[in-house]
Amino acid sequence: MRKKFHSQAIINLFYIPAILLFLIFVVFPLIKGVFLSFTNWNGYSQKYSMVGLANYIRFFTDNNVGTAFINTIIYGFGSTFLQTVLGLSFALLLNHKFRGRSVCRAIIYMPVMIAPLIMGYIMYFFVTYDRGAINDILALFGKEAVDWMSDGTRAVFIIMLINAFQFVGVSMVIYLAGLQSIPTMYYEAASIDGVGPWQGLRYITLPMLMPAISSAVMINLIGGLKLFDVIMALTGGGPGYASNSLSTLVQRTYFGSENAGYASAIGLLTFLFIMLISNFFIKRFDKREVTM
Amino acid sequence: MKKILSVFLAGILAATMLAGCAQGGTASSQAPSKAPSDASKKDVKLTFMTNVVGEQASALEKVLKDFEKETGYTVEFSAPGKSYEELMKTKMSSNELPDLFTTHGWSVARYSEYLEPVNDMPFAKDISSQMKPVISDKQGKMYVLPMDSDIAGIVYNVDVLNDAGVRVYDIKTWADFEAACEKIKAKGVSPIHMGGKDSWTIGQFGDWVAPSIFVTDEKNNKRADLKAGKFDPKTWEKVAGLMDKWTKAGYFNKDVLTSDYNSDVEALANKKAAFEFYGNSTIVDARKINKDANLGMMPIPSNSPDDKPSLIAGERIAVGVWKDSPQKAAAIELLNYLAKPEVMSQVATASGNPAGLNGVDSNIGDIKTYYEKYKDVKTFPYFDREYLPSGMWDVMCSTGADILAGKDNAVVNAGKIMQQNFNDKFSQK
Amino acid sequence: MKTESKNVWRTLLALFIAVVYLAPIYILICVALKSPSDVSSYWKFPAQINWTNFDTAIHEGGILLALSNSTFITVCSVFLIVICGAFAAYPLARRRTRLNKGIKSFILGIMMVPPLSILVSLYSTMVQIHGVNSYWGIIMVLVTFELPLSVYLYSNFISSIPRALDEAASIDGCGPVRTFFVIILPQLKPVTASVVILTGIHCWNDYQFSLYMLQKPSMKSVSLAISSFFSQTTSNLNAATAGALLAILPVILMFLFLQKYFIKGMVDSAVK
Repeated sequence: MRKKFHSQAIINLFYIPAILLFLIFVVFPLIKGVFLSFTNWNGYSQKYSMVGLANYIRFFTDNNVGTAFINTIIYGFGSTFLQTVLGLSFALLLNHKFRGRSVCRAIIYMPVMIAPLIMGYIMYFFVTYDRGAINDILALFGKEAVDWMSDGTRAVFIIMLINAFQFVGVSMVIYLAGLQSIPTMYYEAASIDGVGPWQGLRYITLPMLMPAISSAVMINLIGGLKLFDVIMALTGGGPGYASNSLSTLVQRTYFGSENAGYASAIGLLTFLFIMLISNFFIKRFDKREVTM
Repeated sequence: MKKILSVFLAGILAATMLAGCAQGGTASSQAPSKAPSDASKKDVKLTFMTNVVGEQASALEKVLKDFEKETGYTVEFSAPGKSYEELMKTKMSSNELPDLFTTHGWSVARYSEYLEPVNDMPFAKDISSQMKPVISDKQGKMYVLPMDSDIAGIVYNVDVLNDAGVRVYDIKTWADFEAACEKIKAKGVSPIHMGGKDSWTIGQFGDWVAPSIFVTDEKNNKRADLKAGKFDPKTWEKVAGLMDKWTKAGYFNKDVLTSDYNSDVEALANKKAAFEFYGNSTIVDARKINKDANLGMMPIPSNSPDDKPSLIAGERIAVGVWKDSPQKAAAIELLNYLAKPEVMSQVATASGNPAGLNGVDSNIGDIKTYYEKYKDVKTFPYFDREYLPSGMWDVMCSTGADILAGKDNAVVNAGKIMQQNFNDKFSQK
Repeated sequence: MKTESKNVWRTLLALFIAVVYLAPIYILICVALKSPSDVSSYWKFPAQINWTNFDTAIHEGGILLALSNSTFITVCSVFLIVICGAFAAYPLARRRTRLNKGIKSFILGIMMVPPLSILVSLYSTMVQIHGVNSYWGIIMVLVTFELPLSVYLYSNFISSIPRALDEAASIDGCGPVRTFFVIILPQLKPVTASVVILTGIHCWNDYQFSLYMLQKPSMKSVSLAISSFFSQTTSNLNAATAGALLAILPVILMFLFLQKYFIKGMVDSAVK
């Protein structure tokens, strides 16, 4: 018995390389980050001093943090909502057999391949004031040009839209796979009972899709809460600090305003916040699977 | 289909190995190309890093090559461009700097703790009188050799001003400047163009306007206060207030928050803007877009009618020696080589600016006429470098963006936020 | 009859969606092919095609160098992600001790967190160990942050391989290590395709890490080359766009040819 245990435990060695990587590049920096968050280090100097809880106190009184926090929620949950609704609609449409559906599927999925940074630059051509592609369309209808990204709140929503637009393909293919795994006999049985298409959607499709929905939601949420590249390309977090996510705020506080200690504190609290959110969803996600 | 996939995967693996080899190959072949065959002659290998790019970088590289030929030393030159500042911060935090490097305006405030003082070097006495105060610290120590000097005012499009009937020589104060803006606006051209998406472009405003309110007036200024760590938010409100006033009056371009520096250059070159708050390099940039652009440079107006317009002086290409360099003697030799008139002249010419040492000429065309015209205008250092602790630039940019965006209380908040950050960072110094 | 007319509507709707989705690509191509002095609307296809933008992108933007740097970084990273991921997943899927369960949820936790939240200390750690401006530095960081996805996919897949196979092998005298190499490893091909595709795309498109880890111009990755080209003072937007087009071309082409695997990879990662 004992011998067997030992020989079995040997395979635990297989995860040593992975664990080592995590220790060096995640755990150690995390611990170091906790230390740095109590200092006023500027990011490069050899000198710094301890400032106690000052960085954390500042976190809770800093308007820029509040904005970035709300923006991160909008980027995360807003785009997830859009991707779920649009992804499901696209999947329902493309689940029917008709001419051109596989081409359409490929076209919707294609932007997922494009670097978000480059997507941001492409979209910049749409939203600029001078010669912007959207303003050109407005001009066709005799409307006046709008400087789309000049208003912080509007910029946040446009960035959220762009993120949802780019990654809706992910949800779509997951839902398509989910739809295809629903046995057609359910629908046949339902139609014999005189159930209409809307009721079919409500009582058969959606419940059967639940596992697919929860995993797609999870993936979208993670992506949205991490948003960085598109913001950098489109606004750099501006105007001012208005469209920062917590990620862009950390990098700006670190490299821009040379407050490495404070940036470290913001980062750690972001880490905690997102851990909590995702844990909440993972738990729900796992429960669903058990009941399936 | 499975076959295709496995071929694809195999291909990737093969590519890894090939790429690995290729990469290794280039890496090893690079080193000898930089070290000429006479590597055995002298084992001295210097590293030289600079923030400048383009013409100026090639000029530097050329004189370094000449130096190699003359001495048999090896100089590894690198010009990483935009990432230079981050790179230097990395190097400072691990205390491993290049033997020589350029300091882009920060020789005193940021780099002095790493640099060898140059006061006792032969060229020190020749440093031009405009550059001397700029590169000296409180004790009068200097740390760099200025290859050129940066004298900046407001750049403008001559044709636009003529069309609007504005005469540059009449603009003495900000009130005059506003009157000019009003005339230009009436012509349907945006008086000031600022590409706020880039953020640093907004900070320029602070550097250009703040001196006239904080510094230049001999009878009424805050120099001593700032140096002593006192920042008056009410005075900053005057700086911020001008921006607010001009925003509301419509003096800035309409897309001030979302356009970038490129569009500034384009607007200036194509008569779509009158004034811009940048140095002369913007004139060079604009001429690249429209070589016939009729551009000029003027001193910055004063705030009070009792004061006089001024110019901003700063270091541009300034070279220092790392004080802990293992090859310090050779590095100092190179620094002195760069101070030779015929060497320095090449670099200053490429930068389009006057040289940093007396008695060295640079060939800079029509921009020179402006320098000569404004020879007697008093100069002041860049405001943020001289009077604000390091790291304030971003604060200046972001509070400015709030004003441009027309946020409530943005002006008062700007003063408050500037003061808070000033205090934090000053105490850290 | 009814379904036919419905299908016409569906095709029209799909066509509309496709047009919306192709618009950004169309504009990208238009701008890339226009001369910088052409200030007509972005929507207008260039009257005269200007290939010099690509020339500029390659010579001034260093796109080719960046493409080869990115290829090198991506291939090395993906290789390590596959190896470390497959190995780590085996014990986590097969030996469900409390320790291993804890480790698994820790690894999945890392997947959720924005890496930039530990930017300050990660970066200063990298500075200390001289990992900044080196290929191994960026590769290690990319591997670390892509590894959770790989472990997740592999451990799900291994869990679906019947244990009976392992047991049969052990009756034949195979130790657990040999079981892995003989029984499990050969079966991992399909999931490996998914891992390669998903993490490969992430590594290729990475910007947030390369932005700080690769500051030397000679080491620039594609994203960095594009971003510095776009934000250069007095940049040539048309040439920058041409560069962006060159940067996304390899992935788009690969996607078009291997579409099935790309989509399957995505679905695998989401549905067990």
